[in-house]
Amino acid sequence: MEGQQSDNPLAQQAESLAEKMQEVRAEISKAIVGQGEVVDGVLTALLAGGHVLLEGAPGLGKTMLVRTLAQAVALKYSRIQFTPDLMPADVIGTAVVQENGDGRKSLGFQPGPIFTNLLLADEINRATPKTQSALLEAMQEKQVTVAHTSHQLEEPFFVMATQNPLEMEGTYPLPEAQLDRFLFKLRVPFPGREDLHDILDRTTQGTAKVVISVVDGPQIMEMRQVVRTVPVAPHVQEYVVKLVLATHPEGRENLLANKYIRYGSSPRGAQTLILGGKVRALLDGRFNVSMEDIRALLLPALRHRIILNFEAQADGRTTDDLLDEIAGKIS
Amino acid sequence: MAAREKINSAAPVAVSGLALFSALRNLWKGALASSHKQPSSIRAVQGPDLGNQKWPAELHSLVDPLTTTRRRILTNTFLSGWVKVWTWILAGLMVAAAVSPKLAWAVISAGVVVVAGAIAVVILTWRARPSAYEAACRLDSAAGLRDRVSTAVHLGGVENPDGMVLRQRQDAVMRLAGVRPQALFPVRLPAVARHTLVLAVATAGLLVYRIHYKPPIVALLQTTARSQLVQSILTPIVHAMEKDLQRTMALIKSKPDSPADEARPGNATTTDDLWKASDDQGSKPEDGQQNSQDANAGDQMQDQPQSSMQNGQGEMRPGDSEQQQEGSQSQESNNGSERMGGDTQQQAESQNSENSHQSLSQSLMQALKNMLSNSPNQQANNQANQKQPNSQGMQQSGNSSQPGAGEADKKGDSRGSSDSQQKATQNSSSGAGSQQGSKELKKDQAALPVNAVPDRVALESNGFKEQTRMRIDGGTGTARVPVREVSPQAVATTNGAEQENIPARYRLYVQRYFEHPENGQK
Repeated sequence: MEGQQSDNPLAQQAESLAEKMQEVRAEISKAIVGQGEVVDGVLTALLAGGHVLLEGAPGLGKTMLVRTLAQAVALKYSRIQFTPDLMPADVIGTAVVQENGDGRKSLGFQPGPIFTNLLLADEINRATPKTQSALLEAMQEKQVTVAHTSHQLEEPFFVMATQNPLEMEGTYPLPEAQLDRFLFKLRVPFPGREDLHDILDRTTQGTAKVVISVVDGPQIMEMRQVVRTVPVAPHVQEYVVKLVLATHPEGRENLLANKYIRYGSSPRGAQTLILGGKVRALLDGRFNVSMEDIRALLLPALRHRIILNFEAQADGRTTDDLLDEIAGKIS
Repeated sequence: MAAREKINSAAPVAVSGLALFSALRNLWKGALASSHKQPSSIRAVQGPDLGNQKWPAELHSLVDPLTTTRRRILTNTFLSGWVKVWTWILAGLMVAAAVSPKLAWAVISAGVVVVAGAIAVVILTWRARPSAYEAACRLDSAAGLRDRVSTAVHLGGVENPDGMVLRQRQDAVMRLAGVRPQALFPVRLPAVARHTLVLAVATAGLLVYRIHYKPPIVALLQTTARSQLVQSILTPIVHAMEKDLQRTMALIKSKPDSPADEARPGNATTTDDLWKASDDQGSKPEDGQQNSQDANAGDQMQDQPQSSMQNGQGEMRPGDSEQQQEGSQSQESNNGSERMGGDTQQQAESQNSENSHQSLSQSLMQALKNMLSNSPNQQANNQANQKQPNSQGMQQSGNSSQPGAGEADKKGDSRGSSDSQQKATQNSSSGAGSQQGSKELKKDQAALPVNAVPDRVALESNGFKEQTRMRIDGGTGTARVPVREVSPQAVATTNGAEQENIPARYRLYVQRYFEHPENGQK
């Protein structure tokens, strides 16, 4: 913020948001080595009010990242290991017979592990679609319905799901409806040489550093409100609209989408770009969304919202390639 | 399209001139309004314009940099358009100076276009001037301000802004303080200005050249048109067209008066039919003798396609030779000679009902001949070739004749005549010479234009004729000895095509020319 302090509370909240998030990032870095883009993406999704799908090979620290984040932001944390025999009731809870004090029995709702602030859905693609769909209402409506009774989830509710791109046998790919509910799909890369040395030093010597909570749930909710006040210039919004429309094969001028894309991004993609851009602007010390913010968020925001056709798979094209090419053609 | 539909829908109604004018004016206004439409994002609130006094107090420091930026953008846009206009003007002036003989008019026109272009560029530049918001976008992009200024300008029109907007304006102003738009938007000529400068120098040089000389393109075209290479390329094409016209004329002529013209039985008008009939004729010694006598009449017989057709049909009668002569004279009238009046009368006598067809064909023939006679040298060559190749052809015919043809030489009649005549002579004397060879020659004759032969390689053939004559005088009279001594290429030497300056693809024409039997007749 260039050292200039503002006298209006909204601006002060915006400035404090960046500082708090910088502290959270520092706490996470105590446990997570490298993976800066993944950490930034997770924090952006947390402040934008979305969910994150982490994709990466085993052992790259996905679960460690979620657990560390839960410690840094002082949120309730629960983990569900998704397996093929996992049932929806195991996730959202069920009605069980309960005995009250006078010995009378009645049906009572037993909340599932989804009733938390930070939910880690580990290897989500190993559960059946029926169980996966149990998360749909929770992720979008922030509530679950059991026995005709809706139960509100506590805010902030943040789902971080992981999936392994290597072991695809015995898995159930997430349906498009559920993929669209994830704000970002982040790919966890393999650490570099320096990061790997650092990982070895931290995990094989001495004791692990203790992560301190920097912010809590209510503060995060306030930050979410501040994020939405960041202005967006018309040409930036037009750029977002162009990008999303360019992923649709229906457009006559979208030659690339006509050739390789079966379904383009939903409006949630445009919302994600704008909201994520606002968070990035605040984290960068700005008070407006820029084109650079949109470009930086293009891949994590849209890569899981585009369905390629057979020709793209035959040509070996990926969504990242196509999105980069589309972004290069739009100014 | 919409405008057209509007006009079409209004058409059935009784439209007065005033109503039509009003409709067109409305359409024009609509087109102008639609051309000024901006994208939805730009149509949104863009904030105050630079000339507007409604700028918030926090953004007053943005006005000066944005004004400078917009002024520089306008200047560069004008320079770019101005250079483009100059490029086109210089290119046009260069073409005009290279082609047009009136240099003054070209320069005056260029001056007028320069003035009009300057006005047009100014108008277009002003119409496309960037708004304050667009200038801010350009400034953000150039200075790397991450859309701070454009967002601030966009939010400049917001009344009672909240804390975030105010903070954003402060941030934009603070970031813009260290930016110098003059350095980011320098006034400079576009990259194509160098090409324009080169073009200007070239145009100036051409104008200086034109002060003393005539247009170079015109001079080059004239020189090229007179060159022998172009003539050698164009002449066969023109002759081929001329031959087609002659055939067409003969067909038109043969169809209507079949009862009177007994020399054309049937519809033997195609090349094969002609060849077949000529073959039959060649088997009759009397007809061949008659043809030989007709051929002795000189080139007039050869210039007449009608005579060749009649020869090919094989029913030559004594009266036909006179008719052919008349026809040949009428053909010569097409060459623009002084005998036009007399030939016209003869045509009126010999052609009764098809005067209109023939006059049309003759007009086309005359046009083609005029094309050929553009160059005076070419005409001179034509006149010379009409005499010299005949004697040369006679010699060539003597050289290429087979031993049995010596008797025909003694008769001194038919070596320069047509193939059928030659064939008939050979058949009547000794029968020497292969039938196949004469048949090919007949085809060649049918494919060649009859009066186009002297136009081809007249000058080159002169030297060859004399050389060949010297060899023959000292030789055995056969073709083999002189052929080997004249040129290493036997075929080319025999046929007079050993000249190196004749293109290979035209040597066949030259060869046919020297093999043409009638060239040897005088």
